[in-house]
Amino acid sequence: MRARTRSLQVAILLGGIALWEIAARAANPLLYVPPSAALPALRDLLTLTSYPDLPSHLLLTIQEIVVAYGLAVLAGLGVGFGLGLNRVLGRVYAPILAALYAVPAVVWYPSLMLFFGLDAASKIAFGFLLGFFPITLAVLAGVRQTNPQLVTVARAFGARPHVLFVKVMLPAMLFTLVGGLRTGLALSVIGVIVGEILGSKSGLGSLINHAYGLARTPDYVALVVLALGVVVSTDVAATLLERRAQRWTAE
Amino acid sequence: MTPNVPLIAVERVGKRYPSSSGPVEAIADVSLTVGEGEFCTIIGPSGCGKSTLLGMLAGLVPCDSGRVLVAGAPVTGPDPRRVATVFQDPGLFPWRTALENVEFGLELQGVPRDRRRQVATDLLAPLGLARFADKYPRELSGGMRQRVAIGRALAIDTAILLMDEPFGALDEQTRVLMGEWLLDIWRRTRKTVVFVTHSLHEALALSSRVIVMTARPGRIKSVLELPQPYPRAMESADLVSLRAKLWGEIREESMRSMER
Repeated sequence: MRARTRSLQVAILLGGIALWEIAARAANPLLYVPPSAALPALRDLLTLTSYPDLPSHLLLTIQEIVVAYGLAVLAGLGVGFGLGLNRVLGRVYAPILAALYAVPAVVWYPSLMLFFGLDAASKIAFGFLLGFFPITLAVLAGVRQTNPQLVTVARAFGARPHVLFVKVMLPAMLFTLVGGLRTGLALSVIGVIVGEILGSKSGLGSLINHAYGLARTPDYVALVVLALGVVVSTDVAATLLERRAQRWTAE
Repeated sequence: MTPNVPLIAVERVGKRYPSSSGPVEAIADVSLTVGEGEFCTIIGPSGCGKSTLLGMLAGLVPCDSGRVLVAGAPVTGPDPRRVATVFQDPGLFPWRTALENVEFGLELQGVPRDRRRQVATDLLAPLGLARFADKYPRELSGGMRQRVAIGRALAIDTAILLMDEPFGALDEQTRVLMGEWLLDIWRRTRKTVVFVTHSLHEALALSSRVIVMTARPGRIKSVLELPQPYPRAMESADLVSLRAKLWGEIREESMRSMER
């Protein structure tokens, strides 16, 4: 069954690439880069012939993602638990958070650039902003769906607040929490890369912007594929962590 | 402990809860003592505050007035070295197996893994759960879940076992069997049990003393001593007349609580 799913996925991928090739050749190949042109560009990119300084850009982007996501996790857990465990604060702030989450986050980006400048700080801020909301809201939902009876039982058995947190709250909300952490990671990555595309001199997004601006479309496509690789690998890492967490609760 | 200090002493406790129509007095001026080894049942109409009273004994509900003493010391919070509690909702941790649920209290007390595993495994056999050690709560029946919860309470081996309508959510047959089984445990361990129920049958079959509470605000209406030996023949003239007497008292209070 698994092998069948896999081969189907590969078939769909290959079919998509074939369709892409046919469509791009029929249209203007400069604007609609066919895979046959994208592959050499990707090779040039990875061999550092088209963009020799790619590693430093890529490293910067990854650093921005790590910092943005790290801050989003810390703040999301802190605010989420703060609002979730304090009923009054939760009632006041949770609706505001949900409303802010519904606003398309990109509208904040110009003001972030004004506050934090054109360098890494504004990208980190944007990645943070995007990752923060889903994490916070997942923690809030997780705290609320924890069965209060389990908390009562643990208290009766002498659980102090930190024990209650580790042995009851965290396992009870693990699935919701991990889901939020995953969504947050994906959005932090998007935030950083979009931030770089919208305005910066370095980072993967700035290269994408550069290639696009100079109509170097094959290079542009190759960079997009690389960006996809970054997103997919963070998602794979998140999946591995999720499995880890499941095993941990099962113990 | 000096013999003239009762194991549990409740001294003029009271509790109010806030509600939309002003504070509601749940229990008022309740005093009672429970001696070592007693099986003391608290019975009364719904909402008479019996669960509140038990929560006070467990240290989970603070008293608004009066105090609760366990072995002469005032109760200020849960004390798992002396008191274990079983609730109507077993509250098993769904991510833990039956065995791991039984281990929970020992784990919190820092008992080493091997030791607590041993204690829990030894407990599962008399609970009739030996074959279900590695099952998760969702894979167990209601009666089994409640036995796991009782196992979890027994594992920390306290002198006092508090039970808040532990069989309330079970069907009649399971309920009777669980009662017989609990009686057996009690007689072997000689724990002091405080048992909240609204079942006449449970009260008469299990208790050495029955405390009847009034409708809200809960006060003590009467106390019934039951010296009859176990297992009790529920059809004996003695118990049938006791049942009628107890029902008379509870009926009156239930009517009052329905009329409001």
